Amino acid sequence: MPLPILFLRRHGTALTRAVALAVLLAGFAATRSPAQGPLPPEAGSEEPSFTPLPAASLNFYGSPGGIDMPSAEMMPDGTFATTLSGFGGQNRITLTFQATPWMSASFRYHQLQDLNLFGFKTYYDRSFDARFRLWREGRYRPQVTLGLQDFSGTGLFGAEYIVASKSFRTPAWGGAARDGGRLMVTGGIGWGRLGSYNSLGSLGSRPAYSGTTSRGGEPSYDQWFRGPYALFGGIEWRPNDKLGLKLEYSSDDYVTETQTSSLFNRRSPFNFGVEYQWTRSTRLGAYYLYGSEIGVSAQIQLDPRQPVSRLSVPAPYPVQPRSQWAGPPESWDTAWAGDRETVLGLRDRLAEALKRDGLVLESLEVGPTEAELRYRNPRYTAQAAALGRAARAMAATMPASVETFRLVPVSNGMALSAVILRRSDLEALEFDSRSAEALRAVTGLADAAARPGPGAMPGPGLYPDFSWSLAQYTSPSYFDPSLPFRLDVGVDLRATYRPAPGWRISGKLRRRIWGNIKDGRLSNSVLPHVRTDATLYAQENTTLENLYVARQWRPGRNLYARITAGYFESMYGGLSGEVLWKPVGSRLGLGVEGNYVVKRDYDQRFGFQSYKVFTGHASAYYDLGRGYQVQVDAGRYLAGDYGATFSLDRTFANGWSVGGFFSVTNVSAADFGEGSFDKGIRFRIPLNALLGKPSRSGLGLTIRPVQRDGGQRVTVPGRLYGQVREAHRSGLEAGWARVWE
Amino acid sequence: MGEGLGMNRRLAGLAAAALLVLSGCSGGTDAPPTQLQLLNAARAATGQIAGKVGGAEAPARPPLTRAALDTVEVPVLEVTVEQRGDWAFLFRTLERTDASPGRIEQWSTEDSNVTLTLRGGVLIATRGLGGDLLSSAVQVSDARPGPAGGGEHRQLIRNLDYRETALALSCELVDLGPETIEIVERRHATRHLQQRCEGGGGRVVNEYWTDPRAGVLWQSRQWAGPHLGYLSLRRLVK
Repeated sequence: MPLPILFLRRHGTALTRAVALAVLLAGFAATRSPAQGPLPPEAGSEEPSFTPLPAASLNFYGSPGGIDMPSAEMMPDGTFATTLSGFGGQNRITLTFQATPWMSASFRYHQLQDLNLFGFKTYYDRSFDARFRLWREGRYRPQVTLGLQDFSGTGLFGAEYIVASKSFRTPAWGGAARDGGRLMVTGGIGWGRLGSYNSLGSLGSRPAYSGTTSRGGEPSYDQWFRGPYALFGGIEWRPNDKLGLKLEYSSDDYVTETQTSSLFNRRSPFNFGVEYQWTRSTRLGAYYLYGSEIGVSAQIQLDPRQPVSRLSVPAPYPVQPRSQWAGPPESWDTAWAGDRETVLGLRDRLAEALKRDGLVLESLEVGPTEAELRYRNPRYTAQAAALGRAARAMAATMPASVETFRLVPVSNGMALSAVILRRSDLEALEFDSRSAEALRAVTGLADAAARPGPGAMPGPGLYPDFSWSLAQYTSPSYFDPSLPFRLDVGVDLRATYRPAPGWRISGKLRRRIWGNIKDGRLSNSVLPHVRTDATLYAQENTTLENLYVARQWRPGRNLYARITAGYFESMYGGLSGEVLWKPVGSRLGLGVEGNYVVKRDYDQRFGFQSYKVFTGHASAYYDLGRGYQVQVDAGRYLAGDYGATFSLDRTFANGWSVGGFFSVTNVSAADFGEGSFDKGIRFRIPLNALLGKPSRSGLGLTIRPVQRDGGQRVTVPGRLYGQVREAHRSGLEAGWARVWE
Repeated sequence: MGEGLGMNRRLAGLAAAALLVLSGCSGGTDAPPTQLQLLNAARAATGQIAGKVGGAEAPARPPLTRAALDTVEVPVLEVTVEQRGDWAFLFRTLERTDASPGRIEQWSTEDSNVTLTLRGGVLIATRGLGGDLLSSAVQVSDARPGPAGGGEHRQLIRNLDYRETALALSCELVDLGPETIEIVERRHATRHLQQRCEGGGGRVVNEYWTDPRAGVLWQSRQWAGPHLGYLSLRRLVK
């Protein structure tokens, strides 16, 4: 095993690049994008509108552009786009995320039917793109964007470009146009694929693409902007809100597809297209490409700010001012506090009131002038929404003399923070002209005490607490060259037993009904098969997914701790411990986690195999603000490799999130295999956006272009940071608008 | 034969499993798992669609008669969300004042899932409609209902991404003079006030029919922000 210092030297450049990228992103994230002007009213109305104008249309590579060529446009900030396109025996599916107003990243899966090259009949390729806006469109100045296409894959689709676009207003034609017609003129210069037709000259030499020897995965910066370059361009006219007409001149000669192989005939550099905005998020297009081929595309753009369903939550209780029902403050009685019966009655009424709003009373400690409520929030994405409802329930049930409310959200028995509110402020500010902002200014936030006070009453009949569910599951698997999409479906039986606050015994039994993951390919990894035995793990129909005992507690001020023992996930079981330091008002959190894990038997019953490993990480979490978070984990991975994982995620207040990560470890690219190092993207779509009802659940997905054994971590249920962050300052503030909702 | 039986058994197993999938269920204090929440939503949606196919339409607005309204002893406000054609009868659940001028009234549907809050008769908040009006700064006085003058009318809207967006409208108030209106067989002598506002790239016109002597705002049409559009309010029972 090489010494860490050697590893650092070897991977020094990768690390430097990663750090530079993180700093760059942090810097840009911190600068606020200029406020947008008001939007024009919708067609047929004069009212102000928050509905965005139709977004830029996307090309066959899923980036804003014409048909096969890019433009300089960007999608609205935060947009998730899925583009399906096909022509001439090529099908592409691209996921694009507009990570910031000036940068987007794409992941694409490309199918070349009957290519008959590189040892495959039908060839599948994965590739990543990144696009950066260099400057925005001005009155006379065009918008300019720099793009790197397939910058780290095998390079089959590799291209770099600088492109400029300028839009012009035109009269509307043929239908309702909210903001008139629009003509977009685009011109650019491209290298690689985009410099292959009618090239003007050449800058240095570009290493040739080699489909059989290239392992892919590492940024191919040695070929960026090298070799022949050529001009491309196009125009798009959108005469109304539905229709778009496109014409372009392509500088892609399709050498591999038309000369090395014969997927189609390239007879002309001109492409034509017509597009129709079918729904607000879906645009369909039909095209005639390269003088010989018909193409189609579907562009689905989801803007997290404009979810499919509008969330509506039943109205909350009003805060009835005490002056209306309790007389003057001098007359407020405090003798009730000494009477156990009365106090228990208060707790029961509060528990009922919370239940109406989907909250669970964990404990209540009440004195003559103050009360501390500890509660669980199984329903609302925004902790602020749960907080507001809990405060209203307190105001509706507590005797008049109780003036200070301490509200403590709790996750699995662990107190997350203490929010201190004065009841007089709730009464005074409910109908203030800026009610949310005004309440925030008078709300205190502190570290919660490790455990409830001695006089606290536990929730009525709460412990021991048992929950169970029986529900269907679907488990996908991607990118097997023989069948790119595999799926298992079946039912999960879950049960969780909480004998006392902080303790959890949980298990999940899985029964597969149908699936083809079991027919997947076997591992060819030279490392210990810590993750690549998925096919072997998919052989049995009935499996024990997990079964563990977990304990969570607060060992001290700003400290959170967890210890878990049992079967954590389908592949590993063992013992895991974690400690997190995270002050409520701090952007920084630091954690350490140590796991001793043993590889489970392939049948996923109770047995273990002989592979054992100690794996653990020291983690730093930093909240960059505006929903951006970075995380760095350094330590030892499942295959015994040492290294670090860098991740950047963006979370929206309504629960949408998207991010990317990569790990550099002391496993060489050759030992790692295809892809060279571990990396991937992950996103989560909250259910509330789909259902229009409050829910904390979401559909999440992590996509790795290739699943290998280097840089892999064990999945332990209930990691601390995710539980803690949302109840701390930045998490509460992100959803603060909902505090009165 | 044996194979056939095995096949049958497997089919039966599959059918039983399929049934299980369709009848997912849960219990306890934890929220149901994601898949189950989705399934429940799908069930509710198919129920609604089945209801529509089966001819069950949205309940029609009951014919209102003054005789029927006379039997109601509490104040009733009728609201129509024009954009959606939804309507409801609202009952007053809160009356209070705070540091700003104008008497605050909160009106709620019978199931208390939706509330509207008015300050001096001017809409300042909605809840339970989705894309709600969170809070507003309005020009009202304690003297009489309806807007007291022109000037800024600022609304804070709960946007679909859970953040609040401020919308500042600048308004002028026009008194269109006396007007007699009829609300369910009863005529009211009112003053018709029109509040013409501009801002946020658009134009909004709010209308109020008030009776300053009785201190009642009989009827109004008020804009509740870009997500909800105009609400029509009629006071059916004083």
